[in-house]
Amino acid sequence: MFNRAEIIDRNFTKLTKNGKFPQPRTISNLSDLNIQTHDLISIFQSQVLSRHMDLKARTLKDEGKCFYTIGSSGHEGNAVFGKIFHLEDIAFLHYRSTPFFIERSKQSNGSTPLYDTALSFVASSDDPISGGRHKVIGSKKLNIPPQTSTIASHLPKAVGAAVSIDRARDLNIKERELKDNSIVVCSFGDASTNHATALSAFNTASLIQYNGGHVPIVFICEDNGLGISVPTEDYWIEKNYSNRIGIKYLQTDGLNLIDLYIKTIQAESFCRKNRKPVFLHMKTIRLMGHAGSDIELGYKTLDEIESIEFNDPLLHSARLLIENNCLSSEEVINIYENCRSRVHQVFDYASMRPKLIDGKEVMSAITSNSNKRVSPPLPNENSRKKIFGKEYKRLNQKHHMAKLINYALFDSLLQYSNTVIFGEDVAKKGGVYHVTADIYKQFGARRIFDSPLDETSIIGFATGFGHNGFVSIPEIQFLAYFHNAEDQLRGEAATLPFFSEGQYTNPMVIRIPGLAYQKGFGGHFHNDNSLTIFRDIPGIILAVPSNGLDAVKMLRAAIKTAHEDNRIVIFIEPIALYMTKDLLNRGDGKWSFAYPKLTEQIPVGESRKYGNGKALTILSYGNGLYLSLQAQKEIEKKINKKIQVIDLCWLSEVNGEKLLKLIGQSNKVLIVDECRKSGCYGEGIMTDLLSVSKKSIQIKLHAAMDSFVPLGEGATSTLPSKDSIAEAALKLFNA
Amino acid sequence: MPREKIIVICPGRGSYSRETSGYLKKYLDLSLPEINFIEGKRKFNNQLSPLELDSLPFRAKVHMVGENASALIYACSFMDFTSIDREKYEIVAIAGNSMGWYTALALSGAVLNENAFELIDTMGSMMKDKIIGGQLIYPIIDRTWQTDHEKTFLVLDAINKANAYVSIYLGGYIVIGGDNKSLTHLKKILPPIDDYPFKIPYHGAFHTPLMNTISTNAFGIFPSSFFSKPNIPLIDGRGNIWESYSTNPQDLYNYTLGTQVTKAYNFTKSITVAMKEFCPDKIVLLGPGNSLGGAVGQIIVQNDWNNVNSKKTFLSNQNQDPFLVSMGIAEQREIVSI
Repeated sequence: MFNRAEIIDRNFTKLTKNGKFPQPRTISNLSDLNIQTHDLISIFQSQVLSRHMDLKARTLKDEGKCFYTIGSSGHEGNAVFGKIFHLEDIAFLHYRSTPFFIERSKQSNGSTPLYDTALSFVASSDDPISGGRHKVIGSKKLNIPPQTSTIASHLPKAVGAAVSIDRARDLNIKERELKDNSIVVCSFGDASTNHATALSAFNTASLIQYNGGHVPIVFICEDNGLGISVPTEDYWIEKNYSNRIGIKYLQTDGLNLIDLYIKTIQAESFCRKNRKPVFLHMKTIRLMGHAGSDIELGYKTLDEIESIEFNDPLLHSARLLIENNCLSSEEVINIYENCRSRVHQVFDYASMRPKLIDGKEVMSAITSNSNKRVSPPLPNENSRKKIFGKEYKRLNQKHHMAKLINYALFDSLLQYSNTVIFGEDVAKKGGVYHVTADIYKQFGARRIFDSPLDETSIIGFATGFGHNGFVSIPEIQFLAYFHNAEDQLRGEAATLPFFSEGQYTNPMVIRIPGLAYQKGFGGHFHNDNSLTIFRDIPGIILAVPSNGLDAVKMLRAAIKTAHEDNRIVIFIEPIALYMTKDLLNRGDGKWSFAYPKLTEQIPVGESRKYGNGKALTILSYGNGLYLSLQAQKEIEKKINKKIQVIDLCWLSEVNGEKLLKLIGQSNKVLIVDECRKSGCYGEGIMTDLLSVSKKSIQIKLHAAMDSFVPLGEGATSTLPSKDSIAEAALKLFNA
Repeated sequence: MPREKIIVICPGRGSYSRETSGYLKKYLDLSLPEINFIEGKRKFNNQLSPLELDSLPFRAKVHMVGENASALIYACSFMDFTSIDREKYEIVAIAGNSMGWYTALALSGAVLNENAFELIDTMGSMMKDKIIGGQLIYPIIDRTWQTDHEKTFLVLDAINKANAYVSIYLGGYIVIGGDNKSLTHLKKILPPIDDYPFKIPYHGAFHTPLMNTISTNAFGIFPSSFFSKPNIPLIDGRGNIWESYSTNPQDLYNYTLGTQVTKAYNFTKSITVAMKEFCPDKIVLLGPGNSLGGAVGQIIVQNDWNNVNSKKTFLSNQNQDPFLVSMGIAEQREIVSI
C-alpha cells in the first residue's frame, strides 16, 4: 500500500488512460515555441526512460544487485536542459540529472546512456566513467565531469571553469579544452543553496561580474521544496536570488515542458551572448522520497504525498502532448511500456557485469591520467632577460627562500603558458611575503590576479581552471586558512581522477605559506603547525622545502608533474624560513643560495642527506630540518661520532623501504616533526619504518606538543627546538 | 510466456555470393505481396527479377553488380524477416550494414515497401555505367579476434595519407573506400595478411565523399515524403537510434541520402549500440548467407558481450546456444522461423 514507487507507476498508466491529468501550473502555448513535435516527444521519452531507471533501481536494490537509489523522479524537467545546452557546454550536474544525461546523449553519435547509467547504478567495473567506483552522472564524451553526492561542492569549480573559458581564449592557451563560445551549466537542489560552498560560488560569480569580468555560467536550482525532510519555504529561493547583484534571475515551471523550453533558451542565449551568470530557478517536485530508504510518511501526511504525486511531471508532459495532438493516450502508454521493457532488459544484463573486487583495482584510478602532456622547452635566455629585467643580473647572487621562489615562479610562468597565479593579495602587492612580487608587472592581470577573500573559491577556481587545460598555482595566504577550503580538495579535486578513471583531471600546485616559528608575529592562525589535513587524502603530493635552493628545484618538479601527470601538489613554504639567510651563526649566509640552473630539479619523492654518519639519523623537513642541522654539530661533539640528517622534502611520497636504504647501517633514527604530534607525518613514517624494517632499529618521534601556538614569547614553547632536538638525539643514542 | 527480445541485422551488398545461390527459391513464400511486387516491378522494367536471378547459375558480373545485387539481397532479407516467429520473438530494434540500411528502413516501416524497393534499386543502379572508385577490405584483428590497436592506428594513418577514406568499420575489418589510384597504393603498402588487402569486386567507394554526386542525385530523385517514423527503432551507421515516435522523417531522409551515402558507415558502433541500449536475448542476422556473421561475432568479442572475449569462446557458444542466429544457416534459421 505504501510502496509509493509502485503507486506512482500504476497511476501514470491509469490516469493517462482515463485522461485525468493535473491542471497546468503555468499557462503556455505550444504555438509560442519554435519547436517541432518530435523534439518534445524525444524529451518526453528521456523523461520516461529516467523514471523507469529509478523504478528498476529500487527493485534491483531489493535483490541486492543495485547500490544506489537516489533518483531523478520529479526532476524530469531537466531533460529540457539536456536538449537546449550545447554539447560543448561543460555540465556540472546535480545527482538528479539522469534525464539531462539521456537527452544530452542525443547530441553525440553512438551514445549509450541507458547502458552506461545502468552500469553505474549497479557499480560495475564496466561503467565507462567511474569504473564502478561510484554512482555518478558523468561522461567524457558528453562533457559532463562525474559528480557524486557532496552537496553543492561542485559549484565553486563550475564558476572557475566558467571564468577559465574567456581567459583561455584571451591567452590563447593551446591546451584549452572548452570551446571559446561555450558556457557552463551547473545544477543543484534548493537545500544546497544554504551550503557555504554554494554561497561562495554565487558570491564569486556575482563579484567578478560586478567588477566587469566574464562568468558565463547558468546556475540551475532544481527546487523541489525539500532538503531530505526539511521544507524549503515556497518563496525562499526566489526572494533570495531574484535580486542578486550581477546574476540574472529567471524562473521556470519544472512541470511544464513549454515553459521550461522558453525560459531555458532565454537563460542560455543571455548567458552565451553576454558572458554573464544566470540563476535559472526550476520549481518542481520530488517523488519517491529522497532515496529508496527514505519513508516520507515520517514527515508528510498521506494527503500531502498524494497531492504531490498527482503533479507527476510525466503526467503533465503526457497531458501537454495529448492536448496538442502530438500523441494519443495509447501512444503515450506505448512509449511508457516500451521504455519500461527496455530499461528492464538493460538493467538485468548490466547487473551481471563484473564488479570491482580487488583493492588494487579500486586504487588504480587514484592518480590515473588520460591527459598526459609533455612539458614545453625551457625558456631561452633572451626571454628570461626581458622578463626578469634588472633582476636577471642578480640571479647568481645569494638570496633567501622568498626571493628564490619568486624567481622560480617567473621562470615557470614563462615556460608554461597555461599557468596562472591567483590568491589573496598576490597581484599588485605581490603577496604578504612578496613571494609573487613584480610578477603582475611582467605577466599582467590575466596570468596573476587577486581572488576574493574566500579560500573555497580559490581552490574551486584552480579545479575549474584545471578542467580547461590550465595548471593553476593558487596561493592560500596562511596554512590555517586552508581549512576553509578543505572539501574543495578532499571531496572534489582529489577525487576527480578516481571517479573518472583519469579521464578528467584537475592539476594544480597550491602554494601555502605556513608552519610555525615566526618570531614576533601571528599566534595560532599565522603559525599553524599541522599538515594532518593533507595526510590521509589519497593521491595528492605534499612538498615542504627547508631552504630556497631546494624550494626552487622542488617547485619546478611540482609544476612539471602537475602539467605532465595532472597531479595535485601542495607546496608548503615555511614562513619562518622565507627570509632566513644564516644557518649556524649570524652572518654565515649558509641558508641563502644562488638561483640554480633551469635544468636542476629535486624530483618528486627524492630526499636530501646532510652528512654520512652512522651513529644516528635524524629525519625531518622544513623548520625541523633547519633546527636539526643546527643541532647536528652539538650532537656529534657530544657523542664524538658523526650522524646524518635527512631532509624528506616530499612528505606524501615517503616510502619505508626506500627510506631504510637511505638510512643505511644507522640503527637509531630520530624523527623531528615540527607539527603537532597527533596525526603528524612523523607518526606515519615511524610506523612505516618499523613495519618494513627487518633489523633491530630504534626510532623515536620528537614532535610538537598537541597545542595551538600562542602569541608572543611563548610562541615556540610547544615546538621542537635546537636544544630539544639535541637532547632527544642524545637520549636515543644512549638508550 | 514472454517473448524473447531480438535485434535484427540486415546484410549489405556482399551478402549474395556463389554459396548463397538459390537461397530465395529455397525459402520463398510466393504469397508475400511485397515479394510479388518486387518481382513484377523488375520484370516490368525489363530487368531480371530476384527469383530469376536466384535461379541462374552464379556469375559475379551478373549477381554482384549493383543493379542486380541490391534487389536480390533486399528480396532475400525481406523474405527472412517475414519468416521470424513474432509470437516467440519481439523485434526491439533493426540495424543494417551499408545497403542493409535501406532494407532496415523498409522492415521498420519507415519507408513503404514499394518506395523502399525503388530506393534500393535506384541507389544500387546509380553507378551502372561507371563505378566510382572502389573498396578494399583489411583486418585489424589477430587470429583470436583481439583488436590490434597499434595496427588500427597505422592503417587509419595510411588511409589518411593515401587520400582514401574509411568506408565501413566492419567489426574486425576496415573497409577502405577511395579512387583507384589510392586503393592501388594502399594495396601495395599494407602488409599482406592471407588474402588481404582484398579488393571487393563491383563495389564503389561507398560511404565516402566520392559519393557526393550520388547523394545530390538521390535528393533530386526521391522526395522526403517517402520517409515516415519507423514502427520499430532503427540504429543507423553512426550508432544513433531512430525511435518509433520521436523520429523526424525529414531528418531520416537527410541522413539516408546525405550523411549515410557520403560518410563512413560505422557498423561496429551500430551493433555495439544495439547490444548496449537494447540488451537483446538474441541477434538475428537476415540472409542471404552469413557473410556478416564474422563481423558481428568480432563486435561481440570487442565488447566482451555475454563474457565472450575470443573467437574460440564465440564459436563454442554458437555451437551450443547461439546468441547470433543467422537465418542463412539452415539449423539456426529453424530457431527463429515460424
